Amino acid sequence: MSQLDPGVQIKRRTMSRRQFVSTFGSLIGLILLIIIMYALKPNFLSTSNIRNILRISSINGLLAVGMTFVVLTGGIDLSVGAVMGCAGMYSAYFAQTSMNKHWMVAVLVGVGMGLIIGTFNGVCVSYFRVPPFVGTLGSMSIAKGLTFLLTDAKPIPSLSTEFKFLGGGNIGGWLPTAIVIMLVVLAICFTLLYKTRYGRYIFAVGGNLNAAHVSGINTKRIICSVYIISSVLAALAGIITSARVTSGVTSTGDGYETNAIAMVVIGGTSLAGGRGRLWGTIIGILLLQCLTNGLDMLGVNTYYQMIIKGFVVIGAVMLDGLNAED
Amino acid sequence: MKHLKKTLTLFLALFLVVATFAACSSPAQQATPSESSAPAEANSPEAPSASADTPAKKLKIGATYYSLQNEFTMRMDNAAKKYCQENGIELISYDGNYDAATQLSQIETMIADGCDAIILNPHDAVACAAGVEIAHQAGIPVVGVNTMVESDLLTSYVGSQDVSAGEDIMQFMIDHLGKDEFNIVIIEGPMGQSAQLQRIEGIENILAKYPKIKELARNTANWSRSEAMSLMETWINSFGSDIHAVIAENDEMALGARQAIEDAGLDIPCIGIDGITDAVTAIQEGRMIASDFQNAEGQMVGAIEAAVKAVNGEQVEQFNWIPFEMITPENAVEYVNKY
Repeated sequence: MSQLDPGVQIKRRTMSRRQFVSTFGSLIGLILLIIIMYALKPNFLSTSNIRNILRISSINGLLAVGMTFVVLTGGIDLSVGAVMGCAGMYSAYFAQTSMNKHWMVAVLVGVGMGLIIGTFNGVCVSYFRVPPFVGTLGSMSIAKGLTFLLTDAKPIPSLSTEFKFLGGGNIGGWLPTAIVIMLVVLAICFTLLYKTRYGRYIFAVGGNLNAAHVSGINTKRIICSVYIISSVLAALAGIITSARVTSGVTSTGDGYETNAIAMVVIGGTSLAGGRGRLWGTIIGILLLQCLTNGLDMLGVNTYYQMIIKGFVVIGAVMLDGLNAED
Repeated sequence: MKHLKKTLTLFLALFLVVATFAACSSPAQQATPSESSAPAEANSPEAPSASADTPAKKLKIGATYYSLQNEFTMRMDNAAKKYCQENGIELISYDGNYDAATQLSQIETMIADGCDAIILNPHDAVACAAGVEIAHQAGIPVVGVNTMVESDLLTSYVGSQDVSAGEDIMQFMIDHLGKDEFNIVIIEGPMGQSAQLQRIEGIENILAKYPKIKELARNTANWSRSEAMSLMETWINSFGSDIHAVIAENDEMALGARQAIEDAGLDIPCIGIDGITDAVTAIQEGRMIASDFQNAEGQMVGAIEAAVKAVNGEQVEQFNWIPFEMITPENAVEYVNKY
């Protein structure tokens, strides 16, 4: 016994270190990044720039938060960027001053678009067994088409002041509305994922679909629901973006899905499903946005920026792989 | 321990890459090479005290382009870099990545970074107006370039009138064919972008005067050569040699269409706008009849000059139009080494 004990202990300690690295790797990376950027460019940590980073992180991060739910079930949602643009356009349409509608109407229309497309995605994937990649690729095209149909691709100008406050406004004169919305969304999502039975079911479905099904979980409903969450959050991001740029623009959200996926995997959520963490996604969001902002500030050539970002995404997943080794 | 080391090494390697790129890029935007031995250090302490009242204070201009992933905007950026280098101005260029929201946050970054003036080449005329407002509130002049921004707060606008470019190419094609009864196809830029809207307006202005010209088809190829090529292939399949002329809203698309035409063994005249390098060569080889040259360098230099004037409190003209120039086989040689 006395011979066995130390061995067991050593193994346990190695495991926990590995886990430590894979769990906190992205966080360490983020901190290092901030330190380096600050050393190279002190303006990086000026109050206004921090606010800029957090505001843009809140908007783009909404997609990643929703995507985390989908990826946890082992799925993927390629339609988020298009849903963002679609919801942004439709809400802008109803937020025009000439429409004379309450700003809530515009928001509800936008969220409604997200709800419809999300339900469509969810039903396709769960009840009709369309592979998530294909199903959401299809709805991406559908959402894009709906976006262009509304105004023949023309932008929608002159939105109401109340609506614009959602994107460009500051609560109390200094706290951007977008950040507040993100914090509320995060509070709800953390509760859903970690404090409710529903959250445990999501992990169970992603970990082992059959086992989850046998143990009595309505797996179809769970899978369907995550696509709805993802689309609704994407729609919210679209609404905020329209409010921020004070107009509906058809190109909003183009290519944002790849960024959202990158943020999720940097945060350590496995694309295979069942394993991951929401706070990791937050790190992923901040890491990518800090990197973009910092490199922009430093005046780094855009082509190098692409290369650097590619390496960061791969590097983060490599780190995460340490945990899964043997 | 082993894994911790591994990880740390990985991270160090990663950030070394970042740091290297960052350090490499710094001297490029440093206009005066005097302190090139320690660019990063020389740059950092200056930044917070940017508003210090030293007489020889270097002007800092931020420029955001709707994209830096195509030849035309790269030309503008190269012209800007060259001009700033010669005039001791610090320039930081931003790639808007075809996204108005991205450009908006870049403007916010520039303000936080203490830029004295902003040059805006907007992806969207309406959406980017929000950025002008933000900069205006921060008291920073914004000069629009190449694509119009729909904002009264814009300090100045330097560009070319796209409507006239549309008129120019349509009229040139009619003169080239020497008749007013033929069939055309029109290849458009991304729907809704102001260059597309204005160029088609110009084309339609001329078409209205020539009712016998028949428009067989019209579609967008998003400024893309490959998209235009497949579009043209489809049209050749449906109309064949009934197509007598191709009107493209930019050179990339004109060249893509021309490729499809040659592959089908036809010879239909094509015309475009912009005067990119490939187009100049194509005009010399007789593969394109002409291209309306948009003076990227002239626009950008005009924009920076306007920005400098605005910062110094001088009077700035609200609109500064840089004319288009038609490149034809006769004068093409002048445009070969333009950039």
